[in-house]
Amino acid sequence: MLKLGLGLAVLNGTAFPALAHEALLTAQSADSLSFVDLDTMKESGRISVTGKPAGIALSPDKKTAYITAPDSQDLIEVDAISRTVKRRLHLGGGPLGIAAHPTRPEVYVADWYTHKIHIVDVTQMAVIGDIKVGDSPSGLAVTPNGKLLLSADRDSDAVSIVDIATRKVLASIPVGKRPFGITIDDQGARAYTANVKSDDVTVIDIAARKVVGSVPTGRRPYAVALAQGRGFVTDQYGGTVTAFDQTTLAPIKRIDTCDHAEGIEADADEKNVYVSCWGEDVLLRIDAQKLLVTGKAAVADGPRAFGTFLR
Amino acid sequence: MLKRLVIAATIVGLAPLSLAGAAWAHGPSRQKVTETVEINAPADKVWKVVGNFQDMSWLPVVAKTEGTGGNNVNATRTLTLKNGGKIEEQLDKYNAEDHMYAYEITKVDPKVFPVNDYSSHITVSADGDNKSTVTWWGGFYRGYMLNDPPPDLNDAVALKAVTDLYKSGLAALKQKVEAGG
Repeated sequence: MLKLGLGLAVLNGTAFPALAHEALLTAQSADSLSFVDLDTMKESGRISVTGKPAGIALSPDKKTAYITAPDSQDLIEVDAISRTVKRRLHLGGGPLGIAAHPTRPEVYVADWYTHKIHIVDVTQMAVIGDIKVGDSPSGLAVTPNGKLLLSADRDSDAVSIVDIATRKVLASIPVGKRPFGITIDDQGARAYTANVKSDDVTVIDIAARKVVGSVPTGRRPYAVALAQGRGFVTDQYGGTVTAFDQTTLAPIKRIDTCDHAEGIEADADEKNVYVSCWGEDVLLRIDAQKLLVTGKAAVADGPRAFGTFLR
Repeated sequence: MLKRLVIAATIVGLAPLSLAGAAWAHGPSRQKVTETVEINAPADKVWKVVGNFQDMSWLPVVAKTEGTGGNNVNATRTLTLKNGGKIEEQLDKYNAEDHMYAYEITKVDPKVFPVNDYSSHITVSADGDNKSTVTWWGGFYRGYMLNDPPPDLNDAVALKAVTDLYKSGLAALKQKVEAGG
Protein backbone atom coordinates (compact mmCIF):
# COMPACT_ATOMS: atom_id res chain seq x y z
CA MET A 1 0.00 0.00 0.00
CA LEU A 2 2.78 2.40 0.93
CA LYS A 3 4.79 1.43 -2.12
CA LEU A 4 1.82 1.88 -4.39
CA GLY A 5 1.19 5.32 -2.94
CA LEU A 6 4.74 6.47 -3.52
CA GLY A 7 4.73 5.03 -7.03
CA LEU A 8 1.63 6.99 -7.94
CA ALA A 9 3.13 10.13 -6.54
CA VAL A 10 6.19 9.73 -8.75
CA LEU A 11 4.05 9.10 -11.83
CA ASN A 12 2.04 12.19 -11.05
CA GLY A 13 5.23 14.17 -10.85
CA THR A 14 4.19 15.68 -7.54
CA ALA A 15 6.71 16.62 -4.91
CA PHE A 16 4.45 15.20 -2.20
CA PRO A 17 4.18 11.53 -1.47
CA ALA A 18 0.56 10.41 -1.49
CA LEU A 19 0.91 9.21 2.07
CA ALA A 20 2.26 11.95 4.21
CA HIS A 21 2.16 10.26 7.61
CA GLU A 22 -0.16 12.80 9.06
CA ALA A 23 -3.36 13.10 11.04
CA LEU A 24 -6.38 15.12 9.95
CA LEU A 25 -8.36 16.33 12.94
CA THR A 26 -11.86 17.75 12.69
CA ALA A 27 -11.69 20.66 15.12
CA GLN A 28 -15.36 21.16 15.84
CA SER A 29 -15.20 24.24 18.06
CA ALA A 30 -12.73 25.99 15.75
CA ASP A 31 -14.61 25.14 12.51
CA SER A 32 -11.28 23.87 11.18
CA LEU A 33 -9.36 20.87 10.02
CA SER A 34 -5.92 20.55 11.65
CA PHE A 35 -3.11 18.63 9.92
CA VAL A 36 -0.49 17.09 12.21
CA ASP A 37 2.86 15.75 10.97
CA LEU A 38 3.16 12.46 12.85
CA ASP A 39 6.95 12.24 12.48
CA THR A 40 7.55 15.53 14.27
CA MET A 41 4.23 15.61 16.21
CA LYS A 42 3.67 19.22 15.17
CA GLU A 43 0.64 20.81 13.55
CA SER A 44 1.69 21.48 9.96
CA GLY A 45 -1.39 23.32 8.77
CA ARG A 46 -4.97 24.29 9.46
CA ILE A 47 -7.81 25.07 7.07
CA SER A 48 -11.28 26.47 7.61
CA VAL A 49 -14.03 23.84 7.42
CA THR A 50 -17.28 25.40 8.61
CA GLY A 51 -20.42 23.69 9.94
CA LYS A 52 -18.84 22.24 13.12
CA PRO A 53 -16.98 19.30 11.56
CA ALA A 54 -16.96 16.04 13.54
CA GLY A 55 -16.92 12.75 11.61
CA ILE A 56 -14.19 11.86 9.13
CA ALA A 57 -13.33 9.09 6.67
CA LEU A 58 -10.52 8.90 4.14
CA SER A 59 -10.78 7.64 0.57
CA PRO A 60 -9.02 4.30 -0.12
CA ASP A 61 -6.00 6.15 -1.61
CA LYS A 62 -6.12 8.48 1.41
CA LYS A 63 -5.89 11.54 -0.79
CA THR A 64 -9.39 12.74 0.00
CA ALA A 65 -11.12 13.29 3.33
CA TYR A 66 -14.89 13.14 3.75
CA ILE A 67 -16.14 15.09 6.72
CA THR A 68 -19.54 15.43 8.37
CA ALA A 69 -20.67 18.77 9.75
CA PRO A 70 -23.64 18.30 12.14
CA ASP A 71 -24.34 22.02 12.52
CA SER A 72 -24.68 22.82 8.80
CA GLN A 73 -25.70 19.18 8.12
CA ASP A 74 -23.30 18.80 5.25
CA LEU A 75 -20.89 16.26 3.86
CA ILE A 76 -17.65 18.03 2.98
CA GLU A 77 -14.97 16.78 0.61
CA VAL A 78 -11.42 17.92 1.33
CA ASP A 79 -8.39 17.31 -0.90
CA ALA A 80 -5.87 16.19 1.72
CA ILE A 81 -2.89 16.90 -0.52
CA SER A 82 -3.67 20.47 -1.59
CA ARG A 83 -5.53 21.00 1.70
CA THR A 84 -8.56 22.59 0.12
CA VAL A 85 -12.31 22.11 0.49
CA LYS A 86 -13.51 20.75 -2.86
CA ARG A 87 -17.24 20.12 -2.60
CA ARG A 88 -20.08 20.32 -0.12
CA LEU A 89 -23.24 18.27 -0.16
CA HIS A 90 -26.15 19.37 2.00
CA LEU A 91 -27.71 16.30 3.61
CA GLY A 92 -30.01 17.77 6.27
CA GLY A 93 -30.92 15.71 9.34
CA GLY A 94 -28.10 14.78 11.70
CA PRO A 95 -25.03 13.55 9.82
CA LEU A 96 -22.23 12.32 12.10
CA GLY A 97 -20.73 8.85 11.59
CA ILE A 98 -19.04 8.19 8.26
CA ALA A 99 -17.12 5.43 6.47
CA ALA A 100 -15.64 5.02 3.00
CA HIS A 101 -15.83 1.89 0.84
CA PRO A 102 -12.44 0.26 0.07
CA THR A 103 -13.09 -0.02 -3.70
CA ARG A 104 -16.42 1.53 -4.68
CA PRO A 105 -16.60 5.32 -5.04
CA GLU A 106 -19.01 5.45 -2.11
CA VAL A 107 -19.12 6.87 1.38
CA TYR A 108 -21.77 6.08 3.95
CA VAL A 109 -23.12 8.73 6.29
CA ALA A 110 -25.20 7.86 9.34
CA ASP A 111 -28.11 10.16 10.07
CA TRP A 112 -28.66 10.46 13.81
CA TYR A 113 -32.24 11.74 13.51
CA THR A 114 -33.78 9.93 10.56
CA HIS A 115 -32.26 6.56 11.54
CA LYS A 116 -30.85 5.75 8.16
CA ILE A 117 -27.55 5.61 6.34
CA HIS A 118 -27.09 7.74 3.25
CA ILE A 119 -25.18 6.14 0.40
CA VAL A 120 -23.21 8.92 -1.28
CA ASP A 121 -21.68 8.43 -4.72
CA VAL A 122 -18.56 10.55 -4.46
CA THR A 123 -18.00 10.80 -8.22
CA GLN A 124 -21.24 12.78 -8.49
CA MET A 125 -21.22 13.88 -4.84
CA ALA A 126 -24.86 12.88 -4.58
CA VAL A 127 -27.02 10.66 -2.37
CA ILE A 128 -27.95 7.60 -4.42
CA GLY A 129 -29.84 5.69 -1.74
CA ASP A 130 -30.71 5.29 1.91
CA ILE A 131 -30.62 2.28 4.18
CA LYS A 132 -32.98 2.18 7.15
CA VAL A 133 -31.20 0.88 10.25
CA GLY A 134 -31.80 1.05 14.03
CA ASP A 135 -32.23 4.24 16.06
CA SER A 136 -29.61 6.99 15.95
CA PRO A 137 -26.89 5.25 13.98
CA SER A 138 -23.51 6.70 14.96
CA GLY A 139 -20.25 4.89 14.18
CA LEU A 140 -19.92 3.12 10.80
CA ALA A 141 -17.31 0.67 9.51
CA VAL A 142 -16.89 -1.37 6.33
CA THR A 143 -15.29 -4.84 6.27
CA PRO A 144 -11.91 -4.87 4.44
CA ASN A 145 -13.39 -7.02 1.62
CA GLY A 146 -16.01 -4.33 1.01
CA LYS A 147 -18.97 -6.65 1.45
CA LEU A 148 -20.50 -5.51 4.72
CA LEU A 149 -21.26 -2.21 6.36
CA LEU A 150 -21.68 -2.20 10.14
CA SER A 151 -23.61 0.51 11.93
CA ALA A 152 -23.58 1.14 15.69
CA ASP A 153 -27.26 2.01 16.26
CA ARG A 154 -26.86 4.00 19.44
CA ASP A 155 -30.41 4.23 20.68
CA SER A 156 -31.29 0.65 19.73
CA ASP A 157 -28.33 -0.77 21.70
CA ALA A 158 -27.53 -2.81 18.60
CA VAL A 159 -25.29 -3.16 15.57
CA SER A 160 -26.81 -3.48 12.10
CA ILE A 161 -24.98 -5.59 9.53
CA VAL A 162 -25.74 -4.34 6.02
CA ASP A 163 -24.98 -6.17 2.77
CA ILE A 164 -23.45 -3.45 0.62
CA ALA A 165 -24.25 -5.06 -2.75
CA THR A 166 -27.98 -5.39 -2.06
CA ARG A 167 -28.26 -2.52 0.46
CA LYS A 168 -30.18 -4.84 2.76
CA VAL A 169 -29.89 -5.19 6.54
CA LEU A 170 -28.90 -8.80 7.17
CA ALA A 171 -28.96 -8.75 10.95
CA SER A 172 -29.25 -6.59 14.04
CA ILE A 173 -27.09 -7.74 16.93
CA PRO A 174 -27.81 -6.56 20.48
CA VAL A 175 -24.69 -5.10 22.14
CA GLY A 176 -24.02 -3.01 25.29
CA LYS A 177 -25.87 0.19 26.10
CA ARG A 178 -25.58 3.06 23.62
CA PRO A 179 -22.86 1.89 21.21
CA PHE A 180 -21.06 4.83 19.60
CA GLY A 181 -17.77 4.07 17.85
CA ILE A 182 -17.30 0.82 15.91
CA THR A 183 -14.08 -0.70 14.56
CA ILE A 184 -13.49 -3.83 12.47
CA ASP A 185 -10.22 -5.79 12.57
CA ASP A 186 -7.96 -6.21 9.50
CA GLN A 187 -9.26 -9.73 8.85
CA GLY A 188 -12.87 -8.58 8.86
CA ALA A 189 -13.52 -11.19 11.53
CA ARG A 190 -14.53 -9.15 14.56
CA ALA A 191 -16.11 -5.80 15.29
CA TYR A 192 -15.71 -3.80 18.50
CA THR A 193 -18.24 -1.25 19.74
CA ALA A 194 -17.61 1.36 22.44
CA ASN A 195 -20.77 1.47 24.56
CA VAL A 196 -21.21 4.91 26.06
CA LYS A 197 -23.72 4.01 28.76
CA SER A 198 -22.58 0.56 29.89
CA ASP A 199 -18.88 1.49 30.09
CA ASP A 200 -17.75 -1.48 28.05
CA VAL A 201 -16.77 -2.74 24.62
CA THR A 202 -18.82 -5.43 22.89
CA VAL A 203 -16.92 -7.85 20.64
CA ILE A 204 -18.87 -9.31 17.69
CA ASP A 205 -18.01 -12.28 15.50
CA ILE A 206 -19.15 -10.81 12.19
CA ALA A 207 -19.56 -14.06 10.21
CA ALA A 208 -21.41 -15.82 13.03
CA ARG A 209 -23.38 -12.63 13.77
CA LYS A 210 -22.84 -13.27 17.46
CA VAL A 211 -21.43 -11.47 20.46
CA VAL A 212 -18.30 -13.23 21.67
CA GLY A 213 -17.59 -11.15 24.74
CA SER A 214 -17.17 -7.74 26.30
CA VAL A 215 -14.45 -5.68 27.93
CA PRO A 216 -14.97 -3.28 30.85
CA THR A 217 -13.63 0.23 30.13
CA GLY A 218 -13.35 3.60 31.83
CA ARG A 219 -16.23 6.04 32.00
CA ARG A 220 -18.08 6.74 28.74
CA PRO A 221 -16.09 4.90 26.09
CA TYR A 222 -16.15 6.63 22.71
CA ALA A 223 -14.21 4.69 20.08
CA VAL A 224 -11.83 1.74 19.61
CA ALA A 225 -8.49 1.25 17.82
CA LEU A 226 -6.68 -2.05 17.23
CA ALA A 227 -2.92 -2.63 17.19
CA GLN A 228 -0.51 -5.45 18.01
CA GLY A 229 -3.23 -7.80 19.20
CA ARG A 230 -4.55 -5.20 21.57
CA GLY A 231 -7.57 -2.97 21.66
CA PHE A 232 -7.44 0.68 22.72
CA VAL A 233 -10.56 2.50 23.89
CA THR A 234 -10.92 6.22 24.48
CA ASP A 235 -12.77 6.83 27.75
CA GLN A 236 -14.35 10.19 27.12
CA TYR A 237 -15.32 11.13 30.69
CA GLY A 238 -12.69 8.98 32.38
CA GLY A 239 -9.87 10.84 30.62
CA THR A 240 -8.10 7.56 29.94
CA VAL A 241 -7.43 5.00 27.23
CA THR A 242 -8.25 1.42 28.23
CA ALA A 243 -5.90 -1.13 26.64
CA PHE A 244 -7.10 -4.76 26.41
CA ASP A 245 -5.99 -8.07 24.95
CA GLN A 246 -7.90 -9.00 21.78
CA THR A 247 -7.61 -12.73 22.48
CA THR A 248 -8.49 -12.94 26.17
CA LEU A 249 -10.52 -9.68 26.19
CA ALA A 250 -8.87 -8.91 29.54
CA PRO A 251 -8.04 -5.28 30.31
CA ILE A 252 -4.26 -4.70 30.42
CA LYS A 253 -3.91 -1.11 31.52
CA ARG A 254 -5.79 2.15 31.85
CA ILE A 255 -3.54 4.84 30.42
CA ASP A 256 -3.96 8.38 31.73
CA THR A 257 -4.43 10.53 28.63
CA CYS A 258 -6.50 13.69 28.51
CA ASP A 259 -9.83 15.35 28.95
CA HIS A 260 -12.43 13.95 26.57
CA ALA A 261 -10.27 11.50 24.67
CA GLU A 262 -12.38 10.89 21.54
CA GLY A 263 -11.22 9.80 18.08
CA ILE A 264 -8.58 7.07 18.11
CA GLU A 265 -6.79 5.18 15.33
CA ALA A 266 -3.73 2.93 14.96
CA ASP A 267 -0.95 3.70 12.54
CA ALA A 268 -0.56 1.38 9.50
CA ASP A 269 2.45 -0.35 11.12
CA GLU A 270 0.53 -0.60 14.43
CA LYS A 271 3.45 0.81 16.38
CA ASN A 272 1.44 3.72 17.74
CA VAL A 273 -2.15 4.74 18.29
CA TYR A 274 -3.19 8.36 18.07
CA VAL A 275 -5.82 9.96 20.29
CA SER A 276 -7.71 13.15 19.65
CA CYS A 277 -8.40 15.11 22.84
CA TRP A 278 -11.48 17.29 22.48
CA GLY A 279 -11.12 18.86 25.92
CA GLU A 280 -7.45 19.78 25.73
CA ASP A 281 -7.05 20.51 22.01
CA VAL A 282 -4.19 18.09 21.47
CA LEU A 283 -3.35 14.93 19.55
CA LEU A 284 -1.59 12.31 21.69
CA ARG A 285 0.61 9.45 20.52
CA ILE A 286 0.54 6.22 22.54
CA ASP A 287 3.16 3.51 22.07
CA ALA A 288 1.03 0.40 21.48
CA GLN A 289 3.69 -1.90 22.95
CA LYS A 290 4.82 0.10 25.98
CA LEU A 291 1.37 1.59 26.62
CA LEU A 292 2.81 5.01 27.32
CA VAL A 293 2.04 8.46 25.97
CA THR A 294 5.10 9.38 23.91
CA GLY A 295 4.07 12.50 22.02
CA LYS A 296 1.71 15.44 22.01
CA ALA A 297 0.76 18.03 19.41
CA ALA A 298 -1.32 21.16 19.96
CA VAL A 299 -4.17 21.51 17.44
CA ALA A 300 -7.21 23.72 16.78
CA ASP A 301 -10.02 24.00 19.35
CA GLY A 302 -12.19 20.94 19.97
CA PRO A 303 -10.71 18.09 17.87
CA ARG A 304 -13.16 15.16 17.53
CA ALA A 305 -11.73 13.03 14.70
CA PHE A 306 -14.64 10.58 14.88
CA GLY A 307 -13.70 7.97 12.29
CA THR A 308 -10.50 7.30 10.35
CA PHE A 309 -8.12 10.23 10.24
CA LEU A 310 -4.55 8.95 9.63
CA ARG A 311 -2.82 8.98 6.26
CA MET B 1 -32.75 42.21 26.34
CA LEU B 2 -29.30 40.86 26.96
CA LYS B 3 -30.46 37.39 25.98
CA ARG B 4 -31.89 38.75 22.76
CA LEU B 5 -28.62 40.48 21.95
CA VAL B 6 -26.69 37.28 22.52
CA ILE B 7 -29.01 35.34 20.23
CA ALA B 8 -28.81 38.04 17.55
CA ALA B 9 -25.02 38.02 17.73
CA THR B 10 -25.02 34.26 17.33
CA ILE B 11 -27.20 34.38 14.24
CA VAL B 12 -24.91 36.95 12.64
CA GLY B 13 -21.86 34.94 13.64
CA LEU B 14 -23.18 31.75 12.14
CA ALA B 15 -24.68 33.26 9.01
CA PRO B 16 -21.95 32.04 6.60
CA LEU B 17 -22.61 28.45 7.69
CA SER B 18 -26.23 28.59 6.66
CA LEU B 19 -25.49 29.25 2.99
CA ALA B 20 -25.48 25.54 2.35
CA GLY B 21 -28.83 24.91 4.04
CA ALA B 22 -31.90 26.35 5.64
CA ALA B 23 -31.14 29.42 7.72
CA TRP B 24 -32.39 27.92 10.98
CA ALA B 25 -31.26 24.36 10.61
CA HIS B 26 -28.52 24.18 13.21
CA GLY B 27 -27.71 20.73 14.50
CA PRO B 28 -26.27 20.39 18.00
CA SER B 29 -22.52 20.36 18.54
CA ARG B 30 -20.55 19.95 21.74
CA GLN B 31 -19.66 23.21 23.49
CA LYS B 32 -17.04 23.99 26.08
CA VAL B 33 -16.41 26.67 28.64
CA THR B 34 -13.35 27.42 30.78
CA GLU B 35 -13.33 30.01 33.55
CA THR B 36 -10.54 30.74 36.01
CA VAL B 37 -10.07 32.81 39.14
CA GLU B 38 -6.94 33.77 41.03
CA ILE B 39 -7.24 33.44 44.78
CA ASN B 40 -4.90 34.91 47.36
CA ALA B 41 -4.55 31.71 49.36
CA PRO B 42 -2.45 28.54 49.18
CA ALA B 43 -3.78 25.77 46.91
CA ASP B 44 -4.23 23.41 49.88
CA LYS B 45 -6.51 25.87 51.60
CA VAL B 46 -8.63 26.38 48.47
CA TRP B 47 -8.82 22.61 47.91
CA LYS B 48 -10.18 22.17 51.44
CA VAL B 49 -13.19 24.23 50.37
CA VAL B 50 -13.81 22.92 46.84
CA GLY B 51 -12.26 19.46 47.06
CA ASN B 52 -15.10 17.72 48.88
CA PHE B 53 -17.48 16.29 46.26
CA GLN B 54 -20.16 15.98 48.92
CA ASP B 55 -20.18 19.67 49.83
CA MET B 56 -21.09 22.27 47.21
CA SER B 57 -21.96 24.90 49.81
CA TRP B 58 -19.37 27.25 48.30
CA LEU B 59 -21.59 27.62 45.22
CA PRO B 60 -24.17 30.34 45.99
CA VAL B 61 -27.05 28.81 43.98
CA VAL B 62 -26.85 25.52 45.90
CA ALA B 63 -29.07 25.09 48.96
CA LYS B 64 -28.22 21.49 49.81
CA THR B 65 -25.80 18.71 48.80
CA GLU B 66 -26.83 15.11 49.46
CA GLY B 67 -24.87 12.13 48.25
CA THR B 68 -23.16 8.83 48.78
CA GLY B 69 -19.71 7.43 48.12
CA GLY B 70 -17.63 10.28 49.50
CA ASN B 71 -14.83 11.24 47.14
CA ASN B 72 -14.53 7.84 45.51
CA VAL B 73 -14.98 7.43 41.76
CA ASN B 74 -18.68 6.74 40.95
CA ALA B 75 -19.79 8.63 44.09
CA THR B 76 -23.05 10.50 43.52
CA ARG B 77 -24.57 13.70 44.79
CA THR B 78 -27.85 15.54 44.35
CA LEU B 79 -27.70 19.30 44.42
CA THR B 80 -30.87 21.07 45.48
CA LEU B 81 -30.79 24.62 44.23
CA LYS B 82 -32.20 27.59 46.08
CA ASN B 83 -34.89 27.88 43.38
CA GLY B 84 -35.95 24.28 44.07
CA GLY B 85 -34.34 22.70 40.99
CA LYS B 86 -32.38 19.48 41.38
CA ILE B 87 -29.22 18.29 39.63
CA GLU B 88 -27.90 14.74 39.96
CA GLU B 89 -24.16 14.26 39.49
CA GLN B 90 -21.54 11.53 39.53
CA LEU B 91 -17.83 11.66 40.30
CA ASP B 92 -15.66 10.38 37.41
CA LYS B 93 -12.15 11.15 38.57
CA TYR B 94 -10.63 12.31 41.86
CA ASN B 95 -7.01 13.28 42.32
CA ALA B 96 -6.29 14.90 45.70
CA GLU B 97 -2.59 15.18 44.96
CA ASP B 98 -3.19 17.28 41.84
CA HIS B 99 -6.19 19.04 43.41
CA MET B 100 -8.55 17.96 40.65
CA TYR B 101 -11.86 16.22 40.34
CA ALA B 102 -14.05 15.48 37.34
CA TYR B 103 -17.78 14.85 37.40
CA GLU B 104 -20.80 14.62 35.14
CA ILE B 105 -24.47 15.47 35.36
CA THR B 106 -26.47 12.26 35.27
CA LYS B 107 -29.91 13.89 35.48
CA VAL B 108 -31.18 17.42 35.07
CA ASP B 109 -34.24 19.12 33.64
CA PRO B 110 -33.12 21.52 30.87
CA LYS B 111 -35.45 24.06 32.47
CA VAL B 112 -33.20 23.97 35.56
CA PHE B 113 -29.89 23.99 33.67
CA PRO B 114 -30.19 24.08 29.85
CA VAL B 115 -27.56 21.46 28.97
CA ASN B 116 -27.23 17.81 27.92
CA ASP B 117 -24.36 15.35 28.35
CA TYR B 118 -22.55 17.74 30.67
CA SER B 119 -19.18 16.82 32.12
CA SER B 120 -16.82 19.03 34.04
CA HIS B 121 -13.72 19.30 36.13
CA ILE B 122 -12.38 21.64 38.76
CA THR B 123 -8.66 22.09 39.30
CA VAL B 124 -6.75 24.11 41.89
CA SER B 125 -3.15 24.89 40.93
CA ALA B 126 -0.58 26.64 43.10
CA ASP B 127 0.95 29.94 41.98
CA GLY B 128 3.67 30.10 44.61
CA ASP B 129 3.00 29.63 48.32
CA ASN B 130 0.16 32.04 48.88
CA LYS B 131 -1.64 32.21 45.59
CA SER B 132 -3.59 29.75 43.52
CA THR B 133 -5.65 29.53 40.37
CA VAL B 134 -8.92 27.67 40.20
CA THR B 135 -10.02 26.43 36.78
CA TRP B 136 -13.57 25.25 36.16
CA TRP B 137 -14.08 23.54 32.83
CA GLY B 138 -17.22 22.11 31.26
CA GLY B 139 -18.14 20.24 28.08
CA PHE B 140 -21.81 19.86 27.10
CA TYR B 141 -24.51 20.01 24.49
CA ARG B 142 -27.32 22.55 24.52
CA GLY B 143 -30.63 21.72 26.24
CA TYR B 144 -32.40 20.75 23.00
CA MET B 145 -30.74 17.87 21.17
CA LEU B 146 -32.70 17.98 17.90
CA ASN B 147 -32.25 20.40 15.02
CA ASP B 148 -33.82 23.87 15.17
CA PRO B 149 -33.74 24.52 18.93
CA PRO B 150 -36.26 26.86 20.56
CA PRO B 151 -34.57 30.15 21.49
CA ASP B 152 -34.42 29.29 25.20
CA LEU B 153 -32.58 25.99 24.57
CA ASN B 154 -30.03 26.87 21.89
CA ASP B 155 -26.21 26.83 21.97
CA ALA B 156 -25.93 30.47 23.07
CA VAL B 157 -28.26 29.94 26.04
CA ALA B 158 -26.34 26.85 27.18
CA LEU B 159 -23.01 28.65 26.87
CA LYS B 160 -24.32 31.63 28.81
CA ALA B 161 -25.81 29.49 31.60
CA VAL B 162 -22.57 27.58 32.14
CA THR B 163 -20.37 30.67 31.84
CA ASP B 164 -22.53 32.62 34.30
CA LEU B 165 -22.52 29.72 36.78
CA TYR B 166 -18.73 29.34 36.62
CA LYS B 167 -18.06 33.08 36.87
CA SER B 168 -20.39 33.67 39.79
CA GLY B 169 -19.30 30.46 41.52
CA LEU B 170 -15.60 31.22 41.24
CA ALA B 171 -16.10 34.82 42.41
CA ALA B 172 -17.99 33.54 45.48
CA LEU B 173 -15.29 30.95 46.12
CA LYS B 174 -12.60 33.63 46.03
CA GLN B 175 -14.54 35.79 48.44
CA LYS B 176 -15.20 32.90 50.81
CA VAL B 177 -11.61 31.64 50.90
CA GLU B 178 -10.00 35.06 51.17
CA ALA B 179 -12.43 36.21 53.89
CA GLY B 180 -11.89 32.98 55.78
CA GLY B 181 -8.38 34.15 56.79
